[in-house]
Amino acid sequence: MIEEIHFGGIYVPAALATAVLSGVLVYVVRAPMQRMTFYRLLWQPALFDLAVFILLWWGLSAGADLTSHFWFMS
Amino acid sequence: MTMLSRHHLARSIATLFVILAILGGIYALWQRYQVDPVTRDGKVRADMVPVSADVAGLVTEVRVVDNQSVRKGDVLFVVDRPRYQLALEQAEAALMNKRASLSQSVREDRRNSAVREVIAAETVEQGLTRTYELRAEVAQAVAARNLARFNLERTLVRAPVDGVVTNTTLQPGVYVVVGKPALALVYGKTLRVEGYFEETKLPAIQVGDQASIYIMGVADEIHGRVHSIAGGIEDRERGGTDGQYADVKPSFDWVRLPQRIPVRIEIESKPANVRLIPGQTATVVIHPRADASKIHRSLPW
Repeated sequence: MIEEIHFGGIYVPAALATAVLSGVLVYVVRAPMQRMTFYRLLWQPALFDLAVFILLWWGLSAGADLTSHFWFMS
Repeated sequence: MTMLSRHHLARSIATLFVILAILGGIYALWQRYQVDPVTRDGKVRADMVPVSADVAGLVTEVRVVDNQSVRKGDVLFVVDRPRYQLALEQAEAALMNKRASLSQSVREDRRNSAVREVIAAETVEQGLTRTYELRAEVAQAVAARNLARFNLERTLVRAPVDGVVTNTTLQPGVYVVVGKPALALVYGKTLRVEGYFEETKLPAIQVGDQASIYIMGVADEIHGRVHSIAGGIEDRERGGTDGQYADVKPSFDWVRLPQRIPVRIEIESKPANVRLIPGQTATVVIHPRADASKIHRSLPW
């Protein structure tokens, strides 16, 4: 399991790093997503952004955990 | 009209699904980061054995260097051997002196008893008493000689356990006193990892659970097993000593953190090249067994 990530000697919790990363990813994919017809179906489009953000956050954490037996992911 | 309501229904269902996805994601994240028995607050530890001299004096020789591994019984340093050699010689001379006096006294007694008629009874008795006294003095001198020999042996300060000499600055010429640690040994056999787990994570941990340990900066996994959980930690809300009234702090933190309990992990196997140095930071991941969920945990999970 990856618990912490370091930048220049400062260790931060992996949760923070994955949250920042997924936040950036959501920002990037928001524009393409808004062109989907599904988007117009929603009561509040921002809810979908939030869902994507949370699932990405969890997915990145879980994915990192699964691959953490490789030396380059730890 | 039907078109509109169908649209409404689809919209409601889609929104519901999205909200469920959000809640599920939050739950999974919560489990991963707040509930699973994982801690970044772990330390490699080993017992330290302070080595002190049993005899006082100047250190005449230091036979180890910093960070050297030693076996039990190896000589670490030598305390003023010449002085204790002289003390032994002195004790031996004193013993010889007493023995000479004793043999003279014994001869006198023998003579006195041969010619008992011409010698006062008091003189005979005094002579016998002197012999008994000298016997006791000889025994005393023997004990003093043995003690001097023992002290001479103790000038060679030996390693009490197998270990690594650490943080030693001892040099010849330093005066060591009895009982004051002169250097420290790291007792290699007691090397283990202690994970400081929040008390909220403790219900998931059982003695015997498998554990993975990651040393800071090292990707290779070290396998371990939960050896034991600390028997107790300090109660910070309460002061006072035994035999007094309880002194409970009147202030209470409204927002507070769970305390941390040391969980001792014994190392079962580690990659050959990974070096464990007591004090290193470690991340400890416990793999709870299936039967560990018997305890009802308070919400939120």
